Amino acid sequence: MKVLYFALLRDVTGKKEEEWREPEPTVGHLLHALVARYGHGFERWVLKDGELWNLVIILVNGRDVRQLQNLKTPLAPDDTVVIFPPVGGG
Amino acid sequence: MHGWNGQIVRVNLSTGNVSKQPLDPGLARDYIGARGLGTKIMTDEVDPAVDALSPENKLIFAPGPLTGTYAPSGGRYNVVTKGALTGAIAAANSGGVWGAELKFAGYDALIVEGKAPKPVYLWIKDAAVEIRDATSVWGKTVPDTTDAIRAETDDDAKIACIGPAGENLVRFACIMNDLHRAAGRSGVGAVMGSKNLKAIAVVGTGAVTCADNAAFERAVMKAREKIQKHPVGGTGLRLYGTNVLTNILNQVGGYPTKNFQDGHFPTADKIGGESLAANQLQRPKGCYSCIISCGRVTKVTNKKFAGEGEGPEYETSWGFGGDCGIDDLDAITKANYLCNEYGLDTITMGGTIACAMELYERGVITREDTGGLALEWGNAEAMVEATRLTGTGEGFGKKLGLGSFRLAESYGMPELSMSVKKQEMPAYDARAIQGIGLNYATANCGAAHVRGYTISPEILGTPMKVDKDAIEGKAQLVITFQNLTAAIDASGGCLFTTFGIGADEYAEMMTGVTGTTYTPQDFMTCGDRIWNLERMFNLKAGLSAKDDCLPPRLLKEPIKTGASKGSVSRVPELLPEYYSLRGWDPKGVPTHDKLHALGLAV
Repeated sequence: MKVLYFALLRDVTGKKEEEWREPEPTVGHLLHALVARYGHGFERWVLKDGELWNLVIILVNGRDVRQLQNLKTPLAPDDTVVIFPPVGGG
Repeated sequence: MHGWNGQIVRVNLSTGNVSKQPLDPGLARDYIGARGLGTKIMTDEVDPAVDALSPENKLIFAPGPLTGTYAPSGGRYNVVTKGALTGAIAAANSGGVWGAELKFAGYDALIVEGKAPKPVYLWIKDAAVEIRDATSVWGKTVPDTTDAIRAETDDDAKIACIGPAGENLVRFACIMNDLHRAAGRSGVGAVMGSKNLKAIAVVGTGAVTCADNAAFERAVMKAREKIQKHPVGGTGLRLYGTNVLTNILNQVGGYPTKNFQDGHFPTADKIGGESLAANQLQRPKGCYSCIISCGRVTKVTNKKFAGEGEGPEYETSWGFGGDCGIDDLDAITKANYLCNEYGLDTITMGGTIACAMELYERGVITREDTGGLALEWGNAEAMVEATRLTGTGEGFGKKLGLGSFRLAESYGMPELSMSVKKQEMPAYDARAIQGIGLNYATANCGAAHVRGYTISPEILGTPMKVDKDAIEGKAQLVITFQNLTAAIDASGGCLFTTFGIGADEYAEMMTGVTGTTYTPQDFMTCGDRIWNLERMFNLKAGLSAKDDCLPPRLLKEPIKTGASKGSVSRVPELLPEYYSLRGWDPKGVPTHDKLHALGLAV
């Protein structure tokens, strides 16, 4: 699947996007795999006490996982996952 | 009085008379200040049916009780008038330091009325208020005007002024203060130009007094801590500015593209906040007493669009960017600089060029009409030149200076103007985000995001996440956000503080500084009162429920690509519920009971 990073997560991962070739059944599995690769600098922007931080924006094919099944949102190999740390504006 | 100065200054430019009057404490309590106080004065003193550009219209500059205090981001003021673009009540909100300086000079409002027989500026140094000849600066840009008037008055004077656009009565001219901050929307700069008023220079040496220093300090420190701990107010806005929204809105399919022909722009990342931070940002900048610093001090080295200044914000980046099919950030930032120098509202400028590009695409306007300008989607050079021409009033710029509604109407196609109440919609596609569409339709100043920013819950998930596509609960959500925003605007606070605090914290700060007890509910009721007073002004000005509508495109043409493909706005379904929850009749008129409850019944 394709994973896209924005804002501070580009600094943390050193990239704008990547192809993630390991099969990850859910968003939760993917995030824990990303934390394992990128460490605490990544984790602090997406998870709080092991749960999805309520301010992080994760989209699966453009749909917010908070409107789906949060960490349990299922993933398929051709999905695009977008991850924004908490940001705002107006 | 504390928090308030207790004094209003009135300048009649027709007679040259300057007078001062006390601020009524009851009126201050009920309307707070800034947007609320200004709207109350407009309602009491101006026939809403007047021509916005006539001497009978008034122009009110008003800070709020928190302006000039150390409340977080407490540096804002409002310009209230009948809008030249909209014919509706206008309350353009600006930051910088000018509003605080007016407060230090001793005033809660400056009322400008009449019309000067020749160009003038106001020179306010504490109690001394002088009308001075502005012939020598008429025609000058904002930076040149600022320099010249400082040379004539005081090196430390804070300057609010119009550029050539305001003088030329461009319908969406803004008022610039502190060089780069704008009371941007609805054409308040054209009203200033119609009065032959070029600038207001202020030096204030006083201070805002506080009713209960200890209580105010406690309230402020609590509010500051909450904002600083919030990842958006404390970190995100300072690092990337508001333009970080570009990628988010594009990824959710709510990024209006090519005059709202679509909701997704494939190359949006090139013009987002991440790109700006990497390529143009010199440093972040805050307004008076700001702890957020969303402002962008930028520099463009690309020779074609070289310059230095501030911006762009998200709305500007979108208006000159995706809305025009342009992904050249240097060109966008250059157009932003030109708007600041000539005194133009960037959202309406971008939206008007986008509308002109669609008219050009359809062959309705030709290269002959534009004086050789190829207004094709994605043509960055043409977009920058169109902005310059509008600022100077040359050639096709005169037509663009009408704004998109009057431009499209002149070619018999007003439906191509992406506006509400003749004011262009900002950078969130109402087909993809249902609540913001209802806010656009009902905002008293015409389409605006800063009247009820439901993007926070609908997209960003703060203070709670709601489904952007749902309509259930959206009418009440919009009303709550609109009332809270009206009260914050009236207080002199900044909307961005709501990434961290809300009515509870504002009520506490207001109580501490003024000595008047505000509960959170009192604060919200003030917002409701201001909203209804604005509505009554508009109804008397001739607007009605038929003006609470989005452009037909958003109701009938689904988004074509991206994550929100297939969506249309459902605002017509939401309006009856909105009117009912507001306490209005089915025609959108506040009922007697509603007005009575708010103390607005005649």
